[in-house]
Amino acid sequence: MFTMLRRRAVSSVIPLLVVVLGVFFLARLTGDPANLYLPLSATPEMRAEFSARNGFDQPLVNQFGDYLVQVAHLDFGESLRTAQSASGAVLRAFPATLQLAGWTMLLAIVGAVVIGSLAAYRPNSATDRIASFLSSTAASVPDFWFAIMGVLVFAVTLGWLPTSGTSGAAAWVLPVTTLLIRPFGVLVQVVRGAMVSALSAPYVKVARSKGANEVRVVFGHALRNAAAPALTVAGDLAVGLVNGAVVVETIFGWPGIGKLMIDSVLQRDFAVLQAAVLLTALVIFALNILVDICHAILDPRVRQRAAA
Amino acid sequence: MLQKNNGQSDSAGSGDVPEDAGDGSGTTPAADQVVTARRKWLALLLQDRFACAAVLILIGVALCAVLGPLLIGDLATRQNLRDPGREPFSLDHGWAFVLGSDSLGRPVAARLIAAAGTTLSVAVPAVLCSLVVGSVWGMWAGFHGGWRENVSLRIADVILSFPSLLLAVVVLYVFSPSASGIVLVLAVARIPVYLRTARAESAELRSRLFMDAARTFGTSSWASIRRHVAPTVLPTLLTVAALDFCFVMLTESSLSFLGIGIQPPDVSWGLMVAQGRQELQSSWWIAVFPGLAIVVTTVSATVLAAWARLATDPGQRWRHGLRRGGRGRLRRPATGANGARQSSAAETAAVVAGAEPAHSPAPSGPEIEHAPAVPEAEAEPTPATPEAAPAPAPAPAPAPGDHASTSPATLAVDSLSVDIRTAAGPVPVVRGVSFAVRSGETLALLGESGCGKSMTAHAVAGLLDPAAEVVGGQALLEGEDLLGLGARARRRLAGPGLAIVFQDALSALNPVQTVGAQLAEPFRIHERMSRRAARARAVELMERVGIPEARSRAGAYPHQFSGGMRQRLLIAMAVALRPKVLLADEPTTALDVTVQAQIMDLLRELRSEQRMALVLITHDLGLVAEHADRVAVMYAGTVVETGPVAEVFGKPNHPYTRGLLESVPAEQHKGTRLNSIPGSPPDPRSVPSGCAFRMRCPMARDLCATHRPVLAATGAGRAAACHFGKELADA
Repeated sequence: MFTMLRRRAVSSVIPLLVVVLGVFFLARLTGDPANLYLPLSATPEMRAEFSARNGFDQPLVNQFGDYLVQVAHLDFGESLRTAQSASGAVLRAFPATLQLAGWTMLLAIVGAVVIGSLAAYRPNSATDRIASFLSSTAASVPDFWFAIMGVLVFAVTLGWLPTSGTSGAAAWVLPVTTLLIRPFGVLVQVVRGAMVSALSAPYVKVARSKGANEVRVVFGHALRNAAAPALTVAGDLAVGLVNGAVVVETIFGWPGIGKLMIDSVLQRDFAVLQAAVLLTALVIFALNILVDICHAILDPRVRQRAAA
Repeated sequence: MLQKNNGQSDSAGSGDVPEDAGDGSGTTPAADQVVTARRKWLALLLQDRFACAAVLILIGVALCAVLGPLLIGDLATRQNLRDPGREPFSLDHGWAFVLGSDSLGRPVAARLIAAAGTTLSVAVPAVLCSLVVGSVWGMWAGFHGGWRENVSLRIADVILSFPSLLLAVVVLYVFSPSASGIVLVLAVARIPVYLRTARAESAELRSRLFMDAARTFGTSSWASIRRHVAPTVLPTLLTVAALDFCFVMLTESSLSFLGIGIQPPDVSWGLMVAQGRQELQSSWWIAVFPGLAIVVTTVSATVLAAWARLATDPGQRWRHGLRRGGRGRLRRPATGANGARQSSAAETAAVVAGAEPAHSPAPSGPEIEHAPAVPEAEAEPTPATPEAAPAPAPAPAPAPGDHASTSPATLAVDSLSVDIRTAAGPVPVVRGVSFAVRSGETLALLGESGCGKSMTAHAVAGLLDPAAEVVGGQALLEGEDLLGLGARARRRLAGPGLAIVFQDALSALNPVQTVGAQLAEPFRIHERMSRRAARARAVELMERVGIPEARSRAGAYPHQFSGGMRQRLLIAMAVALRPKVLLADEPTTALDVTVQAQIMDLLRELRSEQRMALVLITHDLGLVAEHADRVAVMYAGTVVETGPVAEVFGKPNHPYTRGLLESVPAEQHKGTRLNSIPGSPPDPRSVPSGCAFRMRCPMARDLCATHRPVLAATGAGRAAACHFGKELADA
């Protein structure tokens, strides 16, 4: 197990470096922050002073080198906008997104296991057809549109839910539902597919031939075998939640990392953007490792391969 | 005499054998085979209403995109400030305003059509780019393996680990938002998806033998990829592309919505939603309709992709024909519907009732006299028809010459029929099979693959796939009809009443549970034992079937055992609750000869130890000769001959049995050509009329084409379904 984790961590270093590098240079290509932060009437001297103060006058390679040294000392620089530490801004925004994403994935996984298993239990039955159609629709709904429709119906017309904010349980309903709908739709289909093949496997017949009731057959025997593909997809979907978070947090004014990233791109707030992306990338790698660990817990064959 | 027999059975009103025969041959029209591949696709598409609708919608969207500019001119962009925010669903101002107008007075319907063009002009090139680049790259990487594969996969990892929307935001912000910029970013972001899929599939192909062959011929790698890899990988990739089309469309609309995608005055659906958001309270329709357009288009692409996946996967195609995946209770069809087949089954049953003591209506007298040795006797109305079945398992007749003659049949299967539901209607795969087995006895169900022997066993055990269905017959376990039981009663008998050993022990054992837990399960379920007690019993069982170090091995997983040990485990699991009947479905096929012998010895020991009735399903004549007491030879879904093994093998009463025996290499045939039965077993969809074997039979005459032979007694405890069975017996 530890061999596997170590190998995983080592092989993550290069992709992480690439991500950091990419963000660093791409962000600097978005233009000179001086244009944004100094008045149009600023003199060349003021611009030079601004650049020098923020280190933008150095060659890009030097800037990157300095940045890496700083990061190694856990110093992520200062926000151009607020002059506060970038890491502080990111860490403040992060829990909001993490909570949102956590609830979303939890609900999506639980819901998908229940509905996907029901659909797979009798392939091509009415339940299956309805579940398949609804889930493929759910997977195809644009999240921003769903959010707007939610606001239109439940906030504007019915007045049941607030349009934005994070206070109170009601404020969570629309953001979580919006974020949920795509992963849920995809997961239902994956769970259904995996369960259909698991339920037609010989070991399921053997379980039935031992007199196991259907609950035991479905949840005791089939589900654990069907979990592997669903887990892989759930991991990918969790990564994709960052995309959703950008949209959802923008619409609902949710003070999370997605909104922070978009804002810092638009504001050329390099330090904050870099810190946010770096943290996101780290979380994604951690998530991938978590998925691997779950695979190993679920399947002894994976465990054996990991140990070898 | 034989013709008279059939005539009599007709006049007795029990069935229309010739009609039945004609029916069987006419089910598959020859025209079916000449349809072109393209027509076949179209036919498959037309079968699925959802897929049809999806195709029509996508064609509609494409037409809008292509013809849109001609249709609407500048309607989409011309502002009409005198007339803003017009309500939808009114034709007063022309069709363009049927979906209302926005705050600048531009008609929503016209803008939707204009946006279709923009949306497709982004999505289609983006998908094509990533499809072409990603799949070629992936096939190349997978085909060569090694560092090329590793580097490619690492690159894919890097791209995928970065949220694509954020990448698009940053890049578009750098290079100023434009349609071509979106195409580029989305194409790059999606390349890894194709790369991974193509790599996985071509790496799998790489290991196949025919690729080695191609390499030895010196075929260049690109030629190999084009000829061998691409055609195999392409269907999967196209399915991925259809799903990806949704993703690209959704991302484009998200970007446009966020203000960094399509820029005004161009218009895309996402942009329309963004514009509509500002006026949500006053005019909802501006945001609703473009969103619906996105949903409908993406759902159509998803449905089409799902259909394509189903249609290109022959293994899944049968699901199309499934109406209802019902497992469990038997649904008996109306007598009239399957009258022809049932009546022939009834006749078979009648004969078996004579030949098998378990169903003998008059339990008196010695077997030879009692059995309808003369064909005329067989045509006598017998009560053992499925419709008018008498109380099951009457007192059995003693059967002289049979070693287990004094005990009643533990399992008596009676004219069992199983259909598989397909798109082209039900296909009968088991057609009136009857056999009986007593405790302590081994009955072999012998037949070639596809003859329905496994299907018979699974039907009896209640383990048929959802597509298969029992349509008639009984399976009496000590007098209780298994096929008529409810699920709960059935479960109660599964284990202590009837158990089954599967062919492939690796797939029959749950890969993610320890073998100890799986062996303990019968005790946990039926005897409600504690985990610890059940575990102890499991270890005892493992010791009994000869697994060394059972105590420590109980915590191991199936993949950690050898094939022979796995089969032992499976047998242990089946005999855990001392079943009355053990069905062994090709228990040794996957094993080598030495292990085979050990497993068969184990089964034999357990059989006599526990006084089980053993049904051995096999295609191995040697196994039957060595281990079975009686044999039922199956062909094309029916039993063609039954009897004690030594007698049947010594003097077969059916040409098929004889053909089987002659095709076994033997000492006395040394130096001569090995006999084999010409032809191959019939397709269950088009079993020939009359006798199913007549096409391959050296004795076939005109009679065989018109009259289906039924199982008729040919001697003591013997029966054969051949018009000349008696002649063969007497010869």
